[in-house]
Amino acid sequence: MAANFWTSSHYKQLLDQEEVDVVQPLDKEKGITLEDFKLIKMHMANYIGRLAQNVKVRQRVVATAITYMRRVYTRKSMTEYDPRLVAPTCLYLASKAEESTVQARLLVFYIRKIYSDEKYRYEIKDILEMEMKILEGLNYYLVIFHPYRALSQLLKDAEMNDATQLSWGLVNDTYKMDLILIHPPHLIALACIYVASVLNDKESTTWFEELQVDMNVVKNISMEILEFYDYHQKITDERINAAMNKLSLKQ
Amino acid sequence: MSEVDHLLTKKFADRYLKREVLGEGTYGVVYKAIDTKTGGTVAIKKIRLGKQKEGVNFTALREIKLLKELKDPNIIELIDAFPHKGNLHLVFEFMETDLEAVIRDRNIVLSPADIKSYLQMTLKGLAYCHKKWVLHRDMKPNNLLIGSRGQLKLADFGLARIFGSPDRRFTHQVFARWYRAPELLFGAKQYGPGVDVWAAACIFAELLLRRPFLQGNSDIDQLGKIFAAFGTPKSSQWPDMVYLPDYVEYQFVPGQSLRSLFPMASDDALDLLSKMFMYDPKARISVQQALEHRYFSSVPPPTEPALLPRPPPKRESLNSRISDFNPQEGPTVLSPPRKSRRVMPHREGFEGNEYQVDKIDDHANERQAAGERNEDVPMSIDFSVFGSRPPPRPTITSADRSHLKRKLDLEFQHPEEE
Repeated sequence: MAANFWTSSHYKQLLDQEEVDVVQPLDKEKGITLEDFKLIKMHMANYIGRLAQNVKVRQRVVATAITYMRRVYTRKSMTEYDPRLVAPTCLYLASKAEESTVQARLLVFYIRKIYSDEKYRYEIKDILEMEMKILEGLNYYLVIFHPYRALSQLLKDAEMNDATQLSWGLVNDTYKMDLILIHPPHLIALACIYVASVLNDKESTTWFEELQVDMNVVKNISMEILEFYDYHQKITDERINAAMNKLSLKQ
Repeated sequence: MSEVDHLLTKKFADRYLKREVLGEGTYGVVYKAIDTKTGGTVAIKKIRLGKQKEGVNFTALREIKLLKELKDPNIIELIDAFPHKGNLHLVFEFMETDLEAVIRDRNIVLSPADIKSYLQMTLKGLAYCHKKWVLHRDMKPNNLLIGSRGQLKLADFGLARIFGSPDRRFTHQVFARWYRAPELLFGAKQYGPGVDVWAAACIFAELLLRRPFLQGNSDIDQLGKIFAAFGTPKSSQWPDMVYLPDYVEYQFVPGQSLRSLFPMASDDALDLLSKMFMYDPKARISVQQALEHRYFSSVPPPTEPALLPRPPPKRESLNSRISDFNPQEGPTVLSPPRKSRRVMPHREGFEGNEYQVDKIDDHANERQAAGERNEDVPMSIDFSVFGSRPPPRPTITSADRSHLKRKLDLEFQHPEEE
């Protein structure tokens, strides 16, 4: 999508890290910490990715779905909006918004295939009801910009086509974090190129210096990405389950 | 009218006082309502949920998505959206009439300055869309709404799409046929803002002639009408034409001079019109260039919107509105006659020709869904097969549109290439 980012609702809705890192009061009461909050969102981003692989939609739909999910939780609690329903519903809504509709019954089918756990079991009518609530939660803003387009253009310009796969993978991984709510997508793309060039020991300083961007921001995003990879290695299934179990606690 | 009384007392979302039904929109009922927060009048579209258990209507979602990004004086404003009793409601600014009603009203005289003003507002709205990389894809007089102070606004973004990636493939089944650009009629899947420019040119011509300019009754006939007016395009005029998917060779006919087609228009108007009606989309003038054309700076200056002639607001009772609605043209709804053209039949549950159309369409869809599209019948969506049906404008455009929209919905079930 080449629409103008700077006049978009996406740009106007970018938040600061501190605004994103707010655990809703209802969730706090259940003992959900900021770390739990981030872990659950990451877990749900993975869940959306797995569902998407099964129903076969473009990466762009996955990215939009995850962005919707993360945006919803800047305004709504996980206690009221069960992530296990919000995640597939966001994929459903994103598939419509990105013009490649996936049928709700197909999602329900694959939900069952992925998780036998009853807590994940939702029916079509649950998804359709949640769709309306998510639309409201998003304040009906549905257009999301992603780093992918900028990434291809920038890689070409930097003559770094050999880094396409690596940097593309890096961009995919940024959706395990909240970066898309905080930074303009082209800066995320640049950070991924930067990380890729560092990993490949490729000298790119001159190219970056010629760009009209604040390299400090790009470097900060790059650092966050690297820190996330370090942190990610330490995440265990038990840790995620513990966070999810807190959520399941009845008050 | 107990029903009306009931509506009058109803307030929803703690904000809107529901008034009378204005009509049946593309995907649900439209009500007039009072916004208690501002005291202003609004139009509320109640979005019917799909029968196929597919949640919020796809077309409605598209409209929400785009209108939330588009804020311009010449584009209809989506004021609010809210769920109520399981249905999604969209709140739009209330518009008094539309350009089609103006064009059709024989009591209205449109001066050259009035035409210039209506066209300028149309192009301004369109320029804003194109600047934001949105194609409207359903430009026609009946989608150009007119507010109480004469301001014209683009509405009905249910077919609109974001464009921008050059390799992106779209469906060519967009626009009401009379406003469809030749590249679409030849089946182009990769097209750009030029399709909206062509439609705007048709609207310009319609303002000048006071009747639709190119009234084809099938896709083939539409091209025939276009060629009869401007001459069959030579490949020197439009080199890419022969590569279009549905290209067929037409017998050569010479065009007529624009002067003979539009005897009353000024030279500047004709010059602009000829540039908007260029065959080759690459050579067609852009909306922004059209707005900078000397037609808009030469005398007479465009009329102030507030001074533009408009049909008088109608104030009959509900009963009289029903009576002058022709039942042959569609379902009876409580709607002023001038709004009847915006009426859409229910998907099922009414008799008459439209029902048959729906049925036939559905079969056409099934055929395509099964991947058995018969290539020998390129015009599978060609409405000439319903030739027994009299072609009054309202039925064609609404049936056409509902069909196209459903076809679009169907198409997008398959992921497109990035």
